[in-house]
Amino acid sequence: MLLSALTTSLDVLALETWAPGTARQVLDTEPAAAPGAQVSGGPRAVLRLANISLSFGGLTALRDVDLDVAEGEIRAVIGPNGAGKSSLLNVVSGLYRPDQGEVWFGDHAFRQVPTAQLARLGVARTFQNLALFNGLSAFDNVLIGLAHRVHTGFIRQLVGSPAARRIEAENRAAAEEVIGFLHLQEVRDRIAGSLPYGLQKRVELARALVARPKLLLLDEPFAGVTLSGKQELAQHVRGARDRYGTTIVLIEHDIGIVMGLSDHIAVLDYGRKIADGPPAEIKTNQAVIDAYLGVAHEDETELAI
Amino acid sequence: MTTITETTVAPTRLSWLTPNLLGVALLLLLGYGLVPWIGSDYLMDAVLTPFLALALAAIGLNVLTGYAGQVSLGSAAFLAVGAYAAYNLNLRLPSLPLLADIVLAGAIAAAVGIVFGLPSLRLRGFYLAVSTLAAQFFVQWALTKFGWFSNDNASGVIDAPVIRIGSLSFTSATGRYVFSLSIVAVATALTARLLASQIGRNFIAVRDHEVAAKVIGVPLLRTKLLAFGISSFLIGVAGVLWAFAYLRTVEPAGFNLDRSFQILFIIIIGGLASLRGAFIGAAFIVVFPLLLSRLGAALLGSVFDSGVLEMSQRIVIGALIIAFLIAEPRGLVALIDRAVAAARRLRSSQS
Ligand SMILES: Nc1ncnc2c1ncn2[C@@H]1O[C@H](COP(=O)(O)OP(=O)(O)OP(=O)(O)O)[C@@H](O)[C@H]1O
Ligand SMILES: [Mg+2]
Repeated sequence: MLLSALTTSLDVLALETWAPGTARQVLDTEPAAAPGAQVSGGPRAVLRLANISLSFGGLTALRDVDLDVAEGEIRAVIGPNGAGKSSLLNVVSGLYRPDQGEVWFGDHAFRQVPTAQLARLGVARTFQNLALFNGLSAFDNVLIGLAHRVHTGFIRQLVGSPAARRIEAENRAAAEEVIGFLHLQEVRDRIAGSLPYGLQKRVELARALVARPKLLLLDEPFAGVTLSGKQELAQHVRGARDRYGTTIVLIEHDIGIVMGLSDHIAVLDYGRKIADGPPAEIKTNQAVIDAYLGVAHEDETELAI
Repeated sequence: MTTITETTVAPTRLSWLTPNLLGVALLLLLGYGLVPWIGSDYLMDAVLTPFLALALAAIGLNVLTGYAGQVSLGSAAFLAVGAYAAYNLNLRLPSLPLLADIVLAGAIAAAVGIVFGLPSLRLRGFYLAVSTLAAQFFVQWALTKFGWFSNDNASGVIDAPVIRIGSLSFTSATGRYVFSLSIVAVATALTARLLASQIGRNFIAVRDHEVAAKVIGVPLLRTKLLAFGISSFLIGVAGVLWAFAYLRTVEPAGFNLDRSFQILFIIIIGGLASLRGAFIGAAFIVVFPLLLSRLGAALLGSVFDSGVLEMSQRIVIGALIIAFLIAEPRGLVALIDRAVAAARRLRSSQS
């Protein structure tokens, strides 16, 4: 609630000054493709951020960030607290309007992504702080992930027209499948708000997955999950990609998980992208190590592995 | 063998207040089959008919506030719109059957509700509640100011017509009670059905996490306005019952802010986001003053006059509201559910 209040009051006078090929002061470890062009030979970018900047009053949360996420990859976004990771996802899901830059989904470019259309564009997300519908059962939380597919009006739902009943049945079947896939059968009828934290995280993942999104944005899905829970959840995230071909952008602090799970890692620091590459490269990247050593951060030791 | 019968019998005996078809069927059987024959006119006229009308109004408000999370203080306005709309439809379009008048009156209340629901797209919580007060004052003002609504009665008073469906007329206390029961039963069933559909889930989603709901693709604007529309429809129909079946002579002042608060208190005491809660809360609000006056008269004799009654009633209800808001926001219905569950556990641990 607070979030949307903040976004609506974001009074951003965006200048349409974005141009392809703007000089980047970003330390890329990968040659960045010019926006609009295909990554040569590679799969097409499902998500592309072009020159995104975002500020809150005097505070710059994102500065000239470019990001290309290829189809079917798991792309981690890491960085110290306050680096701008969540802000990045909020820009991608249209909750924040960037001061400059564009967000591309496939061939569609947006200055501000229309949040209400997100599901129809094939994008789903989870939130850093749990955002379940606490009054609904776990199953209904998953089922409502398909809300955008219900286009029958209220009279037809009231009388239970054939179309309304068919859509409801299809959606229930899809929700049932994801519930099974994430092993949530035992808690399917429990009220979501009454579940333990780790399970709530999993229900939220299921709610995002049920629509079979092309692009899935996960904001710290492992935070607060127990060690064994993390392993299991990591398998589910990878499983989602392998099974549904979902492209995943994953924000995560646990470097061990990130290294094991992702194909590429982008590193943010003070709103800038300071590195972007495969895990092996990130591990030895001096700028990344400096960034993590430069701030007192619990993960710095983990990075040293 | 004996243990099996034990455990299967126990739940049915104790679960008469938890939602199941059997319980509803039993209550309907009681309401139609028993009460009209053995109940006194006083019971039906002064207790059950207002109980039914208030319960329906509370269901309406619960759709909006309990399920969709939009606070409203304008319930009495929609009661009034329903009552006066039905009165005028009956008066000016005499060829329309009364049932059509009732449905149309509900629709008119829904339209007014949607208009006054528009601020909900921008405002929430306290600010929305204050803006629904506009409906409250505007409607009361309009009904007093423009004589047309009351067929040019100087103070806006209307005399309700006799309830007549086809060749049946419902004039007696029993008749008006049975009529109210039928309308409330049908309206409740339809509401329950709607709440179990995608629309009901959308309501709760908007209530629990608006941003997540938007991201998922729940149409916020449509969902909120639908909540206002359905809510006002139900409250409008309740207003028709209030005017036609219960009081039969109403004035705009009867639909004042106190009435709005009364309906809000019903859903807080009974239980937010629960249809059963609306009935339990309405029963409480209707029966409680009667019990209090009997009790007061018995204990204090003539000192306990109507002034004292009203004051003590306000104090007790105010205290109850605070107690529920702090200790059990889910209301009486949650207390009952918990008692039933505890009794069941006791039974099963004994056997
Ligand atoms: N709505 C907002 N209003 C004002 N400032 C904000 C808002 N959202 C984020 N910020 C600021 O932007 C900066 C980046 O925040 P962000 O939440 O994106 O960081 P993060 O990388 O996700 O951090 P964490 O790891 O703690 O989740 C922070 O300084 C934060 O205070
Ligand atoms: Mg964050």
